[in-house]
Amino acid sequence: MSEPGQPTRPRRVLVHVGAPKTGTSYVQDVLYLNREALAKQGILYPAERFDEHFLAALDLMDLHWGGLEAQAVGAWDRLAERIRAWPGTAIVSHEILATASRQQVRRALDSFGDAEVHVVISARDLVRQIPAEWQENVKHRRTIGYGEFLDRVIDPARTGELASWFWGVQEVPDILDRWGGTLPPDRVHVVTVPKPDAPRDLLWQRFTEVLDLGGVDLELETDRTNPSLGVPETVLVQRINQRVNGGVLAGEDYRQFVRELLAHRTLSHRSESPRLGVPDAVRTWAVDLSESWIDELQARKYDVVGSLDELRPDPATGPFVDPDDPDEHAVADAATESIVTLLEEAARLQAIEHRLHGEVAAARDELERSRGRWFRAKQRLVGAAEDNRLAATGLAAYRRLRGSSSRSA
Amino acid sequence: MSSSYEQAARSWVEHLRSGGTTPWSEWITQARQAEVPTGWSVPGAAQLELVRRLGLASRLDGATFARLVDVVLHRSAPGRGLAQQPLSWPEPDGAPRRFGAPPTDPSDVPVDELVRVAVGTLTELLLITPVPPAPSELTRGRFSRGPAFVLAGAPVTTSAVRRELAAAGHAEGGTSPRVVVIAEPFDQSLAQVWSARVQRGAPVRWSGFVERWANRRELPPSADFPALARRWVCEVGADNVHVLVAPHDAAAEVATGLGLAGVGQSGVGPAGRTAKHPEQQPRWRDLSVAGIDLARRVNAVLNVRAAGPDREAAVRGCATVLATVATGPGQLTVPQPFQDWLANRAQQVADDLREGGYAVLGDAVHIVPRSEGVPTGPRRDEVLRVAVEACLHQASATRKAEQR
Repeated sequence: MSEPGQPTRPRRVLVHVGAPKTGTSYVQDVLYLNREALAKQGILYPAERFDEHFLAALDLMDLHWGGLEAQAVGAWDRLAERIRAWPGTAIVSHEILATASRQQVRRALDSFGDAEVHVVISARDLVRQIPAEWQENVKHRRTIGYGEFLDRVIDPARTGELASWFWGVQEVPDILDRWGGTLPPDRVHVVTVPKPDAPRDLLWQRFTEVLDLGGVDLELETDRTNPSLGVPETVLVQRINQRVNGGVLAGEDYRQFVRELLAHRTLSHRSESPRLGVPDAVRTWAVDLSESWIDELQARKYDVVGSLDELRPDPATGPFVDPDDPDEHAVADAATESIVTLLEEAARLQAIEHRLHGEVAAARDELERSRGRWFRAKQRLVGAAEDNRLAATGLAAYRRLRGSSSRSA
Repeated sequence: MSSSYEQAARSWVEHLRSGGTTPWSEWITQARQAEVPTGWSVPGAAQLELVRRLGLASRLDGATFARLVDVVLHRSAPGRGLAQQPLSWPEPDGAPRRFGAPPTDPSDVPVDELVRVAVGTLTELLLITPVPPAPSELTRGRFSRGPAFVLAGAPVTTSAVRRELAAAGHAEGGTSPRVVVIAEPFDQSLAQVWSARVQRGAPVRWSGFVERWANRRELPPSADFPALARRWVCEVGADNVHVLVAPHDAAAEVATGLGLAGVGQSGVGPAGRTAKHPEQQPRWRDLSVAGIDLARRVNAVLNVRAAGPDREAAVRGCATVLATVATGPGQLTVPQPFQDWLANRAQQVADDLREGGYAVLGDAVHIVPRSEGVPTGPRRDEVLRVAVEACLHQASATRKAEQR
């Protein structure tokens, strides 16, 4: 921090509310890994564990999440308490905050006390977001096909949980209406995600600007990302879901083996596979919708970091590859690679198990040696008492003399 | 300056809060004006429709009802579901907004969404007014001379029988007991295991519960009657183990079999569920199917709202409220995809019992369910009805607690 007790600016809270698949995992990881360096510059990223803001968001919105919610009880209030006690700038970031209702937003904003609140959203064009959301659904155990997913998303009635969630985290004008409706427009910041051919660090530069991180020397290498999958890889995970849902694989095991080991650390490296896209009809619909968003966001005069033009989808660069009718050879190839990965993991875990067995046996031997003859004699007496009435009488007499606490001898 | 939409909505909220029940579609046919406070936003259609449904069913006084309405409107619906929908509005000028969830007539809000709001409200009320622990069950004295016995089997039935016997002075336990395994039809037994799990705080759905067991080799311990009987045969010998199949009046039949005096038949239901001493409730309440489903929804919200003793008190409170407004028994069998599994496993259970070498009272064939025409899951409209009743009941309890 610059000078204890003398903040250089009023208390500020920057609330980054999404959207998913816009570099949020990377931003959160950089902030978490550098939280001590940030604190020295007067910027608080209040987190003792990397998913603390996720838990706080679950708490704020009363959301259950495969059992993780039990760790979230009271998490928002704890987060807000630390922010209220901080004299400088504080940053909150999680993409599921985008779905908060007006009451939940009000509770969140009120919890920051008299701080100057800024709302930040990072936004990417819809034609890249739609398939990314389907992929996220698949990585969260859903088995829905892509065509059905698209039908539900583009249905204007938005009936059903899936469509509600999609629009809750992706409809930028509505998210900012809920989160920023009571704020002056210059405290609402839209960070647009650059096009694929832009310099790799451009998005981070934009985050640096909006989160005011320019003066801080940050470690930018992280290992926690949320990489995307190709079409056959996503189909494979979808098929795995069909087999492991319904009690076969518990939530924690699914997270460890399917999402992390297979999806993130194995299948996402298969970069030669065709990428997910959208059919032409959906692209046309998404382009029209994007134009209405761009007009609306321009009219609201928010602070835009980047360009709203980047929310306009690009023309298709290749044919649409339908995940509902995949190349089975490619899916089988991804499955073979997954089996190899799982065999390697099984061998690694087995080696750990053998080592632990050895350590337990050695510890038991050592314990046995340290107990001495008297203990071994008592052990023999206890064993004999099970069959021998005389030994049982002797043991009972011994226990009476010694007192009840000796029963475990 | 507030729009005509906000003024109409505000006036409707005030109307509902005072106990009015006029639907929104009728309300907006007349010019309604109200002062709209700065910063006020229109609650979601589901919240407001639930308030109207509560008003239709309410017997609460005005102040208690208004307090309940404040709880409903204070928090949005928990968990996942539809986004908060604005109210439908006929005029394009002053319409809610161009983006976001589509507006709706509150009368058209799906039942599931009303249940979701009601579950949030009930959870809030349970956390505001915790229920004290129930009196502990009658324990057997060290020098008790009564016949030693143990009950095993489907948890809700055994719990009710245990309580009924305890009310007549017969506490379970003792050395070298005689053991009665109460074997209900297999789907009812599974439903009772589900009920007990939910009453312990689990958020599991009926369909998910069934699917999990259908994917396992073993059965839930308290529904695996042959395994229960085998275990007790090892402990006390086959002569002291009796399996009672699908008893009509479980408490009376158990009492007769064990030679226990003072357990009357009058007023005792199929599982001996009438409370003679209300302060001593069965450990597992005999809740209706809708009641169990509502409780598991409350448990899901409690997972993120409370921990430790607060959570335990709320789970207990939920069962207590539902035992008042949602008592069983209700028919329930497994969803269609699992009915073959159910029939096969039930048949296996029946065969194993016949060959167990212990006394089986009744025909083991009754363990095999007859699923035709039996509901395979909770009915949503019934869950909503129970949720409304539970909210009203708990709102009254909360008000009384606040006035103390």
